[in-house]
Amino acid sequence: MNHPQKSLMRIAALAGLTLRDAVRSRLLISLGAILVIGLIGLPLLISGDNTLTGRLQVILNYTLRFAITMLSIVTLWTACGGVSSEIQDRRLYLVLTKPVHRHELWLGKWLGIVALNALLLTLTGLIIGVMTWHTLLTSPESATAKRQAREQFLLARQALLPESPISRDQALSSAGALVKSGRAPAGMDAVQVATELMKELKNARFVIAPTGTVRFVYHLSTPCTGFHDGILNYKIESSRPERNPIHAIWDIQAAGGMALHLTVTNYPGLPNRLLIPGSVMQGAPSLTLSYHRLDRSSPATLFMAQNGQEPELLIPSGSWAMNLSRGLFMILCRLAFLSALGLTAGCLLSTPVAVFVAFFVMVLLTMSGYVESVATSGAFYTPHEGAALSQTWLDKIILGQFKGLNRVTQPLLRLDPVPLLEEGRRISWLLTAHAVAWLVGLYTAVTALIGILLFNRRELG
Amino acid sequence: MNDEKNMECVIEARGLTKVFRDFWGRPKVRAVNGINLDVRRGEIFGLLGPNGSGKSTTIKMILGLLHPTSGQLSVLGESPRSVSVKTRIGFMPEESYLYKYLTADEILNFYANLYGMSGPHKIERVNALIEQVGLSKARDRRIGEFSKGMARRIGLAQALLNDPDLILLDEPTSGLDPIACREVKDLLLALARQGKTILICSHHLSDMQDICSRVAILLQGEVCATGSVQELLATPDTLKLTLQAPSQTTLTAVLDLLERDTGTRPQVDHTGRTLESVYIEKVSQKKSASS
Ligand SMILES: Nc1ncnc2c1ncn2[C@@H]1O[C@H](COP(=O)(O)OP(=O)(O)OP(=O)(O)O)[C@@H](O)[C@H]1O
Ligand SMILES: [Mg+2]
Repeated sequence: MNHPQKSLMRIAALAGLTLRDAVRSRLLISLGAILVIGLIGLPLLISGDNTLTGRLQVILNYTLRFAITMLSIVTLWTACGGVSSEIQDRRLYLVLTKPVHRHELWLGKWLGIVALNALLLTLTGLIIGVMTWHTLLTSPESATAKRQAREQFLLARQALLPESPISRDQALSSAGALVKSGRAPAGMDAVQVATELMKELKNARFVIAPTGTVRFVYHLSTPCTGFHDGILNYKIESSRPERNPIHAIWDIQAAGGMALHLTVTNYPGLPNRLLIPGSVMQGAPSLTLSYHRLDRSSPATLFMAQNGQEPELLIPSGSWAMNLSRGLFMILCRLAFLSALGLTAGCLLSTPVAVFVAFFVMVLLTMSGYVESVATSGAFYTPHEGAALSQTWLDKIILGQFKGLNRVTQPLLRLDPVPLLEEGRRISWLLTAHAVAWLVGLYTAVTALIGILLFNRRELG
Repeated sequence: MNDEKNMECVIEARGLTKVFRDFWGRPKVRAVNGINLDVRRGEIFGLLGPNGSGKSTTIKMILGLLHPTSGQLSVLGESPRSVSVKTRIGFMPEESYLYKYLTADEILNFYANLYGMSGPHKIERVNALIEQVGLSKARDRRIGEFSKGMARRIGLAQALLNDPDLILLDEPTSGLDPIACREVKDLLLALARQGKTILICSHHLSDMQDICSRVAILLQGEVCATGSVQELLATPDTLKLTLQAPSQTTLTAVLDLLERDTGTRPQVDHTGRTLESVYIEKVSQKKSASS
């Protein structure tokens, strides 16, 4: 009676029904139309700075976010509005007089909605792909500009951090010597000293003295083919308020290969990109980048700063289409979680309440960035400089809730592929697997469990 | 009487009670109040009663959709909330709660999938039922476009998909034209003859009288009369004779004779035709003429 095969058949039938309902009720068609219009229309409306890179950025950034927002709303609507209205007009009630377990019903609906999302995300991916290529091909800009834009956007890049100035073993042995000779701070053992040592040395690399040079060594774990350029994003901060241009030379040395000297002018506080030609990196196991300050007359101390991180070297890694596909798949995982939320709300609450609750949750989730900043800074807004932070007991309670919420929304923030896609960064298979594990394996599963357990107890008369 | 007791009880309710509560858990309506029911294999059992007397609520408890507040209920020997027992039950709801974007064919296939049916067996069953409820011509039309009676027919067809042992019908004849009504009643009689147990809720008394072997009358959630239809209808000391009209003298002689015997003069009426019999005769004539 309880053959797993029959159970699968029922789940498939319910999923098919959900999908068919969406198709027949013209939901799918109208959504597809809105997506097409929105995805094609938005870049026309928001033309950016009208350069090629600007337009491509709009396509990748705004349109993707537009599609995600649309799909999130639709997912919640179909999941929670769909189920609760089916309960209200009693269509589910007839289904439940058939030999259908409540969990089969839940899973079938969920699969149907996920399939609907998968269809629409595929459409989104195709539109974005076509539009990107179209923009590139029809752009009136020069071939070099096109090549640059292609290098910037149409390539997945992996970020490499420079290797540590000393290895952990080296740090440990010097720390051991320091501890033995009694020159280490009292109460610290060799491991702690070594950790501090490495931290100090790493920070020291941000500082560029007036006559100084900083050097970074990057290991290229998979040698580059040489077709595409590498990119180093960096920023120079000055210890002085005046913003004079800084003249410097980047020394690029591939291990056992070519060397290149590039003269650059940087302005403090503004982002810089250093393009490292693919021909230099080709086949090299590692790359050494040195920054030499030229204007030694200036007394200012400079800092190589990239949001408190050492500068990342972005090297080509994999095709853009695959990267976009992985990104869209991660978005699908997020929508799968949203549909679980909607379904659980829809199974337990009546239509208006369910919709309200589901949207409230969605707003909370979209605010995860703000939640994070509040939870980490402890303030609801950025205080004036020097203003003391005063907290009432109410603030403390709410802050506590924000911290709790942040725990839950952190993975959602971390597993958001849009910033990565926007910057052309590689979305690794590992990150994709993480998205599946967290968003589907944990979040969806917990939501499903709660939903099914409570739905099992609900009377439907 | 004795062998009736030995017959297998398909539905057995003891002190079955359902109290609907409001949001705060306070009792609101006592829809079913301590009823006892025994529905035996192979019988057509009628649940009668005025609006709001608790018929649908009882059926929903039998289906496991509502949970009894107190009392015992067993259906085909199992708890009504077990899923496996539903493979043996067919249910036709009081209104057609159907997916209106699906066609008649699709919806029956969908429900058949829920029963785990597949392959040629499923196709045969769906075809046969569509034929049986007279929707062959409309099988590819969407339910949303159906008339009330057509939707009721789909409701009946889906209740019979799994060849159930127990069939529950809530107002099966409402919305059906007299011929369809007759057909449904004949179908139910045929099913009962095959050994299926049928429980019908209705306030269509004449329909119920035609087909039910036993009935229970509900009033405000309580059973106020129960028994076989013959028992309930029989008034032991009156008789009804139907005969070809005799000559006036014979009639007077017979009436005199009867008056002397019983002490009251018998009443003489012409047996008029019912509107139903006229309707069925006319429509069938027209139908056979046109086909
Ligand atoms: N979900 C519910 N919540 C609250 N009260 C309910 C609910 N369902 C039914 N009732 C109440 O229970 C009582 C019995 O209703 P039920 O639907 O069983 O009557 P019925 O005999 O089927 O009537 P009808 O002949 O009109 O179909 C009614 O007073 C009704 O208002
Ligand atoms: Mg009713």
